[in-house]
Amino acid sequence: MPGFDFSNYNRNAALHARGVPLPKATSTGTTIVGCIFDGGVVIAADTRATSGPIVADKNCEKLHYIAPQIWCAGAGTAADTEFTTALISSQLELHSLSTGRKPRVVTCMTLLKQHLFRYQGHIGAYLVVAGVDPTGTHLFTVHAHGSTDKLPYVTMGSGSLAAMSVFETQWKTHLTRDDAVKLCSEAIQAGIFNDLGSGSNVDVAVITADKTTLMRGYVKPNERSAKLKSYAFEKGTTAVLNEKIIRKQDLGNYVSVHELSTTEEGDKMEVDT
Amino acid sequence: MTSIGTGYDLANSIFSPDGRNFQVEYAMKAVENGGTSIGIRCKEGVVLAVEKVITSKLLKHGANKRIATVDRHLGVVYSGMVPDGRHFVERARDEARDWRDAFKTPISTADLAKRMGGYMQAYTLYQSVRPFGITAIVGGYDSELESPVDGEVGSGPSCGAGGKVAGKKHGGPFLYMIEPSGLYWGYYGAATGKGRQAAKAELEKLDLSGDENGLTLEQAVKEAARIIHVAHDDNKDKEFELEMSWISGHDGPTKGLHQEVPKALREEAERLAKKILEGEEDEEEEKDKMEE
Amino acid sequence: MEFGNSGSLSEDGIHLDMDRLKKGEVNLGTSIMAVTFKDGVILGADSRTTTGAYIANRVTDKLTQVHDTIWCCRSGSAADTQAVADIVQYQLGLFHMMNGKLPTTQTAAAIFQEVCYANKDRLSAGLIIAGWDERHGGQVYSIPLGGSLHKQSYAIGGSGSTYIYGYCDANWKEGMEEADAVNFVKESLKEAIRWDGSSGGVIRMVVLTAKGADRHLYLPDTDYKVRHQ
Repeated sequence: MPGFDFSNYNRNAALHARGVPLPKATSTGTTIVGCIFDGGVVIAADTRATSGPIVADKNCEKLHYIAPQIWCAGAGTAADTEFTTALISSQLELHSLSTGRKPRVVTCMTLLKQHLFRYQGHIGAYLVVAGVDPTGTHLFTVHAHGSTDKLPYVTMGSGSLAAMSVFETQWKTHLTRDDAVKLCSEAIQAGIFNDLGSGSNVDVAVITADKTTLMRGYVKPNERSAKLKSYAFEKGTTAVLNEKIIRKQDLGNYVSVHELSTTEEGDKMEVDT
Repeated sequence: MTSIGTGYDLANSIFSPDGRNFQVEYAMKAVENGGTSIGIRCKEGVVLAVEKVITSKLLKHGANKRIATVDRHLGVVYSGMVPDGRHFVERARDEARDWRDAFKTPISTADLAKRMGGYMQAYTLYQSVRPFGITAIVGGYDSELESPVDGEVGSGPSCGAGGKVAGKKHGGPFLYMIEPSGLYWGYYGAATGKGRQAAKAELEKLDLSGDENGLTLEQAVKEAARIIHVAHDDNKDKEFELEMSWISGHDGPTKGLHQEVPKALREEAERLAKKILEGEEDEEEEKDKMEE
Repeated sequence: MEFGNSGSLSEDGIHLDMDRLKKGEVNLGTSIMAVTFKDGVILGADSRTTTGAYIANRVTDKLTQVHDTIWCCRSGSAADTQAVADIVQYQLGLFHMMNGKLPTTQTAAAIFQEVCYANKDRLSAGLIIAGWDERHGGQVYSIPLGGSLHKQSYAIGGSGSTYIYGYCDANWKEGMEEADAVNFVKESLKEAIRWDGSSGGVIRMVVLTAKGADRHLYLPDTDYKVRHQ
């Protein structure tokens, strides 16, 4: 029979109707935040990657490079945030090269939202887009379905509620650079400590008109410390019931050994002389 | 036409050294051989008229119309090669429909003229085509009412549109003429075809300014009939039929639509036209007599 | 295809998903409205954007400009309505450049309707289009879920609008003064926000007249009494 085969679709629909859940894509429980200050913008992220209940990576990087002065923090499906930011980064660089202008944050945001909208949420990338361009400092969120928001401070991911509580209680207008970094770091730590999906360290990126500073492991509140004492079992903890020693020369009594002859006529590998 | 035979007249898209496109100029020659077409824009609307030359006694009287409707409010008449004119009309109808599809509202006369001007100009650019052998006159009445959106549910509220800028006129009658080169202008009165010189001379005598004292639509119909008769040379030309259409505003006789002038009015206009012409001839004869 | 959580099959074995919004989609559970008045038209909206029970943005701007004096109020999926508004904004910009004249509110409404109707299966967008032009003055068009187009003297929309049909019907008057119209919009939205859980935050307005677009902002901190912008 020519044409497409829809039997798998029908099988999936029937299984689903009987209550069999569909397999889930690997997703990162995450806390990512962003905050504007006077003269630039800060974004921050935790570093835990999860695969179901397993911590897949204790120190992964969730701050993605788009352009020298534009960076993205990603939550959602790990592969999608990685590839989407890489794709848009590439497009933006080519666009920048052809226009001869520095890339703009709105351009980046628009490319992202149009790409994600086209895939109707199937690309599970939830992003915080931040940067400084000739038009000023900008901070956006982009949801997987393609909606965007422009705000002075933002949080995303499973730890966004914990992080938002920090912003909503401590954020104020006209923050200094150091205050903004501190606030973002505390917001991420709120996620690390209160959200199961988030954990390990705090990564921070500070973008100003002059330069971008990436501070990998800005805070490491979960360092594995040296153990106070050794938990190795003492020798002789387990009782010996009996003992039998077999020497190497006596091995033949237990195992039969055959010598295999190599065929001399076989082609030998030729080596250039 | 001193440059004939130099090779610069053989194809479109080749300029002669003095910057002319001969193919376009030859197309205009084709127009100059066609029956006269005129358009009159007056305060109440637009009248289109054409001298339809009878090429055979076997053709049915009144059939084979030369004035075409492009959209409800738009009419086109042309002089020159009739098949080219028919193609022009087809394209104009496509443009009008495309506009309605896109914007859910009728195309304005100016926008149609712009699109058709662009279309004709494209036929002066390429080796593979020849320019249109017509000059077209486009007449239309853009609604002065609030335009509804095609596909709108119901007729909307009876009130609510506040904040209109007072004292501004919107819509109205418009007339354009498009030449084979793609050149087009808006006119008070337009004439093309064999008798255009005489027709233009007559048009220039009319008050087409559109103000209070200007020509009424019914007067314009009568003038149009007369001008077509004036432009026709009885001695040299073959017999002809007069075809006329008109477009008024929503409160006029056609209610904003492009329609053929009713038979009774057309015959009345033609009778008056003939009478005036005969009168002039009589006068001339009388003058001749007096000089004797 | 992404399945909803209802898990029901129709008789022909084709999956039925009654949930218009996809899982995890950002929703504008909303109160929006637009009213004509003496000198033009006013658009108004709350500012709440939700994902499930979480408020994703408490100061959202649901009043979106698509041309100089043509704006729209968005309700439904944030992604869908933003995408539609972006398309229309592009088309109207193109119209302005190509035809050398300003698009009318009708033009905008027609393009909005075309997009909404052609993609009705894929979109959850309830829009109110309002605009001012010197020929027609202030006008309001409503495009609900199916993609039909309705010209109205005023329109309300979004989940919060259900609570204020009576209020608006009783209090709207033809040809109001600007201050009265602003007050009408504000009081209506206050009521919608009070009763609708999916609506809240600040009240935003845009006043469209011959003078152009004028933005208003009212905060709940001052019980929406003081104009902040």
